[in-house]
Amino acid sequence: MNDRAVPDSTPEAQALYRVLVVDDDPDMVSFLARLLRREGLAVETASDGESALMQVMTAPPDLVLLDVMLPGSSGFDVCRKLKGDETTALIPIVLVTALEDSESRVRGIEAGADDFLSKPVKREELIARVKTLRRLHDTRKELESRRLAAEVQRKEAIRKAFSRYISPRLADRIADAGEQGDPFQGRAQRTSLVALFADLRGFTRLTEQNEVGAVVAMLNEYFAVLTEAAYQHDGTIFNMAGDSLLVGFNVPFPQPDAAERAWRTALEMVARFEPVAAAWRERHGLAVGVGIGMCAGEAIIGNVGSAHYASYTIIGNPVNTAARLMQMAAAGEVLVCGPLYERIRHLVPAARVATRGDVTLRGKSESIPVFAVKAAAPEHA
Amino acid sequence: MADNIHTVTVAKDLADLIPVFFRNRQKEIETLRSALAAADFEQLRQLGHRMKGVGNSYGFAKVSEIGKRVEDNARSADKAGIDACIGEYAEYLSKVQVVYE
Repeated sequence: MNDRAVPDSTPEAQALYRVLVVDDDPDMVSFLARLLRREGLAVETASDGESALMQVMTAPPDLVLLDVMLPGSSGFDVCRKLKGDETTALIPIVLVTALEDSESRVRGIEAGADDFLSKPVKREELIARVKTLRRLHDTRKELESRRLAAEVQRKEAIRKAFSRYISPRLADRIADAGEQGDPFQGRAQRTSLVALFADLRGFTRLTEQNEVGAVVAMLNEYFAVLTEAAYQHDGTIFNMAGDSLLVGFNVPFPQPDAAERAWRTALEMVARFEPVAAAWRERHGLAVGVGIGMCAGEAIIGNVGSAHYASYTIIGNPVNTAARLMQMAAAGEVLVCGPLYERIRHLVPAARVATRGDVTLRGKSESIPVFAVKAAAPEHA
Repeated sequence: MADNIHTVTVAKDLADLIPVFFRNRQKEIETLRSALAAADFEQLRQLGHRMKGVGNSYGFAKVSEIGKRVEDNARSADKAGIDACIGEYAEYLSKVQVVYE
């Protein structure tokens, strides 16, 4: 049998604990390799410091058994180099020294050796030391993989919890940001945002004409379509009540193009709902469509409620205005407040826009300019 | 069976390594002799050190013991001492018997 045959490259060996034996004495190498292989370990060998370094760099072993007296770079040099390089520093190194050589042990400790083995080598001592280091190695790997698994689990839990409200992309961002970057801070804050309210025109008739189970199924279908549209443009869903949906932009993460995103979301909602509305018309003889109100401005964002029940939400003028505009919007129509319209007018075909003039909204004392945009063909309305 | 000093018990799983081990020991005697002729005490010290390490690893305590003496004598540049060690080493290698267990 030739114990110097290196390296052990069978697939089985790849999964094994791999030991690199470095010694310039071929009889020592054969001896050590034989004992280690008998323990089921994969053994590779090197006869000088330079080739040992090369082998560690190209295929890092799980353990290095390193003789101190080597031609060229000594075992101490090799040990110091491996321990000084962060990519190899964690590989355990056992320095093999003469039994009575306490000076070598001191130098070995200074060079960063993890353990020592005396020459002449006693079989039991070799196996015991390698087993101990292997246990440590396995424990470290186990801890590391558990830590990684816990991290993946934590991120998945965060992603799941948030993905009901925000797009999967934003959920990933929150999961990756960890605690420091938590955008869902407990404290409410004032921020600039775009609020989009959407609801279903013809909803009342739908509930009157259908059984509860059928209504719920239809609402689910409707909300699925609107949610997909919101997530496509990274909107955050703040509220879902009855048949209305509130989506915010520029919250919780800044979106410099929040106005454009809101506009595209509105178009997307109307377009995506069209085939659903057509199917309902056919099946139930219902005339339904989405009406949308949008407004930009400063609002408060944060957790509102008690210690027992809180809801992460947005409150303020643009939200109220968007809600009122939504109520006024016809099916397939998007009503936009003046300031927001200025930000998206470059995207809106002029032929589809009608100025509503200054409108006094219910519950408001001042009037605001409002623009109506037809998002869908009017005959479906 | 020969006398105890010249009988060495070696683990069975090392049996196939022993012929190579002995060939290398014979070569070692030649190297020791030429190093002594050249009065290369550093090389002699290293050779002694190596004998000390490898000998008893395989179970040959005597090889380690002679190696230690070679190393010590080389440190004190004791040519006669080393010469005696080489003679003893050659004689030991010619007489040693191996039993595998």
